Amino acid sequence: MKRITIDPITRLEGHGKIEIFLKDDGDVENVYFQVPELRGFEKFCEGRPVEELSQIVTKICGVCPGCHHMASGKAADAVYGVEPPPTAKKIRELFYMAHFVHSHIAHFYALAAPDFVVGPTAPAAERNILGVIGKVGVEIGTEVIKQRRIAQEIQALLGGHQTHVVLNIPGGVRKGLTEEQRADIEEKAKGFVEFGKFSIKLFEDVVLGNKDYVDIIVNGPYNLTLHSMGLVDENNKVNFYDGKVRVVDTQGKEHCKYAPEEYMEYVAERVEPWSYLKFPYLKKIGWKGFVDGQDSGVYHATPLSRLNAADGMATPLAQIEYEKMYETLGGKPVHATLAMHWARLIELLYSAERALELVTDPDITGKELRTPVNKPDEGVGIVEAQRGTLTHHYWTDEKGIVKKVNIIVGTTNNNAPICMSLKKAAQGLIKKGVEVSDGILNMVEMAFRAYDPCFSCATHSLPGEMPLIVNIRDAEGNIIQSVKRDNCNC
Amino acid sequence: MLIFIELEKQSGDVEDNRMKKAKTLVLGVGNEILSDDGIGPKLVSRLKGDLPHSEVCYENICLGGLEIIEFIRGYQNVIIIDAIKTASGKPGDVYLLSPDHFKETHHLSSFHDVSFLTGLKMSEKLGFEVPGVILIIAVEIVEDTLFSESFSPEIQTKYEQIYSEVYSFLEPALYGDQSVDQFQNLITRV
Repeated sequence: MKRITIDPITRLEGHGKIEIFLKDDGDVENVYFQVPELRGFEKFCEGRPVEELSQIVTKICGVCPGCHHMASGKAADAVYGVEPPPTAKKIRELFYMAHFVHSHIAHFYALAAPDFVVGPTAPAAERNILGVIGKVGVEIGTEVIKQRRIAQEIQALLGGHQTHVVLNIPGGVRKGLTEEQRADIEEKAKGFVEFGKFSIKLFEDVVLGNKDYVDIIVNGPYNLTLHSMGLVDENNKVNFYDGKVRVVDTQGKEHCKYAPEEYMEYVAERVEPWSYLKFPYLKKIGWKGFVDGQDSGVYHATPLSRLNAADGMATPLAQIEYEKMYETLGGKPVHATLAMHWARLIELLYSAERALELVTDPDITGKELRTPVNKPDEGVGIVEAQRGTLTHHYWTDEKGIVKKVNIIVGTTNNNAPICMSLKKAAQGLIKKGVEVSDGILNMVEMAFRAYDPCFSCATHSLPGEMPLIVNIRDAEGNIIQSVKRDNCNC
Repeated sequence: MLIFIELEKQSGDVEDNRMKKAKTLVLGVGNEILSDDGIGPKLVSRLKGDLPHSEVCYENICLGGLEIIEFIRGYQNVIIIDAIKTASGKPGDVYLLSPDHFKETHHLSSFHDVSFLTGLKMSEKLGFEVPGVILIIAVEIVEDTLFSESFSPEIQTKYEQIYSEVYSFLEPALYGDQSVDQFQNLITRV
C-alpha cells in the first residue's frame, strides 16, 4: 500500500467545467457549462419488477434520494392504476416535508450563506460554512446541524432509512405511524417552524438589511426573464408532493397546466453537441435558442419558479413571507435569479408548517395503508424535487416487469437557464481591463449556485460531488486563467 | 440572538443516538450499482465476514459531506474505503491517506454539501466528538460513469489483489488493541 499525497486532477477535469470565451477586446463572447455523462440508468432499470424501482432509484444519487423514491412510488401507483388511501398519502408527504427541511437547510447554510453572510468577494479560505459560523456564532451552527439531523431522523423513522428509503409500495406505504411516534414528530415539527422563521429573519437581517446585497439581487447581472414551472394543488398553491404542473409565462399568465401523464405534450428536450445534458423546453413554444424573454421556450423549475407559478402558499406563515417577497421585489413574477435563495427559505418555512399540519392530522395514524393494485401498464409520477420538477415515466408488461424508463430530473429542467445565467453574469462581471479575481469568479459561480444544481442525477452522476473548473480563454481559445475548486464552498 | 434562544427552548436537545459501542468503524463509501464506484462497499461487505470483531462496526453508505461527518461521530477510529481517480495512478493501486494529506476521494468531496475536511473542521469548531484516528483507503478505479453491478475488467482482474492488500492492512490493525496509538504506529510503518 502506498502512502502518498493525492491530487486527483483527472477527477476535477472530468467534472463540472465552466468555459468562458473572451472576444479580442476582452469582453465575454460566450460561456459553456459542461458536466460529464453518466450512462445507462434507465437501461439498468429494464427487466426489473416496477415495485423495486422506488428502492433502486434512491441509489442514483445520495443528495435527493427521497425525491426519486417519491416520484418512483407515484409512477408505480400510476402503473398499477391505483390511488393510495389518505393515511398513506399523508405519511408519504410528511416524509417528504422532512426531506425538504433537511435539504433546504443544507443549501442555505452551507452553500448560499457563505456568499452573503461572509461576502461574495471575501477570500475563498473564509467563504465557507466555517466562515458563516464565525460570523453568526457557534450556537447557530450547532442549531443548523441539529435541525438538519432531526429532519434526517424523521425520514429514517418513516422511510426505514434516511437515504435508501423503503417507504413506498404501489398503492400505499409499508408501515404506519404509532401515536407515540406521531407525538414525537409533532414536537420536532414545531422546532422546524421556529427554525424556518429564524432562517428568514436571518436572511432579512443579513441580506435584505444590506443595500449592496439587495442591489446585487435586484440589479446585478443575474436576472433572466424566463417562464416558470411548478407543481400546484387544486387551489393553485405550491405543493411538492401532488397536483398538476403549472407553467406561467414571463408576465405571470398561465401558459399551461397539465397532469403528470400529459408531460410529453408540454415538455421536449433538445440535445446540444457540446453538452452531455439535455435542454428541456416548452414544446408549444419551441426551442428558440439560449435566449430569455416571452418568445423563448426556456423555462426554469426552481424554488422561485414554483412561487411564480403558484397563486400562493398553502400555509399561513409561508403565505405572509410569500407576499412580503413579491411586495419587496416589485410584484409577480420575479426574475431575479438570486431571489431563489429567498424563495428557498419561504419553502423551508412552508415545509415545516406543512409537516406540522400533517402530523397533527387525525388521518396520519390511520390503519389503512394500502389500496389493492390493478393490472400494470404505464404510469408517470411527478413531484417537486428541491432542484426542480422531477418526472418518472415507466412502461411495464402485464406482469409489472419494466420495459422502458424515462426520467427528467430537477436540475435538467434548469440546464439552459443555468448556462444563460452564467453567460449573463460573466458578461456583466468580466470586462476588458478588469482583473478577473477570485471574487469575480465566485460571483459568476453564484449565478448557478442559486439553482442549487445537483448534476449527480442530472447526468446520472456520482452522489453529490462535483468539483469545478473555471477556464477563461482568449479569442484564440488559449486558456489564460484557470481556477479549480475542489468544492464550491472551499 | 433572542430568536435563537427561543428556538433552543422549543427544540430541546436531540439525543445522540449515534453513540457507538464499537471502537472502530470501517466505512465503505460508494455506489454499488455504479461499476467501480462500488469498490468500497463491496470490500467492506466482504471484510465484515472475514474479519468479524465485537469492537468493529462495518457499514456502507453512498453519501458525502455532512452525512459522513454525522456518521462517524462517537467512534474512536474510523477507516473509510473509497474510490479515487488520480492523474497517474494505475487501476487497482491502493493508497493509504489521512485527512492531513489528501485532497479528495470520490465521496469525500461534495459540490452540494460541505467537503469532508470542511465538515471535520466544522465539527471541531462546534465541539463535536471527532474520532482520534481517521484513515482513508482509496482504490484507483477506471469506470464510474456506467450504471452496472459489475466492475470494469481492469478492476475485476485485480479485485483479489486489492482485497488482499486491504485485508493485510486491516487484519493487524483490527485485531490489535485498537487504540489511537496503535493505529498511528501502524500508519508510520506503511
